[in-house]
Amino acid sequence: MIPQLVAVRHRRTNGRWLRLYIPVLPVLLVLSPVLVLAVLAGLVACVLTRISPVGALRGTGQLLCALPGTRIEVQQGRTALLISVH
Amino acid sequence: MNEQRRQILQMLSEGKITADEAERLIDAVEREQPESPPGAAPRPKPRPKYLRVVVSSPDNFGGDGPGQVNVRVPLQLLRAGVRLTSLIPPQALSQVNVELNKSGVPIDLTQLKPQHIEELIEQLDDVTVDVDQPEARVQVFCE
Repeated sequence: MIPQLVAVRHRRTNGRWLRLYIPVLPVLLVLSPVLVLAVLAGLVACVLTRISPVGALRGTGQLLCALPGTRIEVQQGRTALLISVH
Repeated sequence: MNEQRRQILQMLSEGKITADEAERLIDAVEREQPESPPGAAPRPKPRPKYLRVVVSSPDNFGGDGPGQVNVRVPLQLLRAGVRLTSLIPPQALSQVNVELNKSGVPIDLTQLKPQHIEELIEQLDDVTVDVDQPEARVQVFCE
């Protein structure tokens, strides 16, 4: 299952939180024209560097599917950045 | 990890409690865990799903206050990344080997097969690294 939601929370020096909840699927749909071009460019790069395009696509898919559950938190004093993938 | 421990870590990450308080609470939670009855078959240890890296520095670097880094990465993500490395063409690996040799690290990466790295990740389950220093504490473990 690809990630459904990416939550980004940022605490600024004044103590206020900025929360961003990014729904992955709608964003992917909006960016799909750019993504198609990026995938094509990636496939061409694979052919040029003699990397199996099928293997690269499969590997990228596995990487995406393994992302849910990732959580990164960095805090320094009053500032903080929290990123979690659901 | 049980729910109580997760809540404690959550409170710690939100700054509601200090690292010392969190440690005391986790100790208390561990003491409350019921012992298994004698003679009962030991339950199989659940397989860890995540690799955790926790860095906390109580020192007030640059006047910003204490810092903390808390990273949780699914082990599945490591496996997927390892599978991607198997796509690296042999020419690139030989170039890397040459550079590693130049740097004094005589490792032949072409001998490193994907299944070896898979086995390495499988054994990560039991790895725990604790580095305690006055200015920082680093913990690497699987949960």
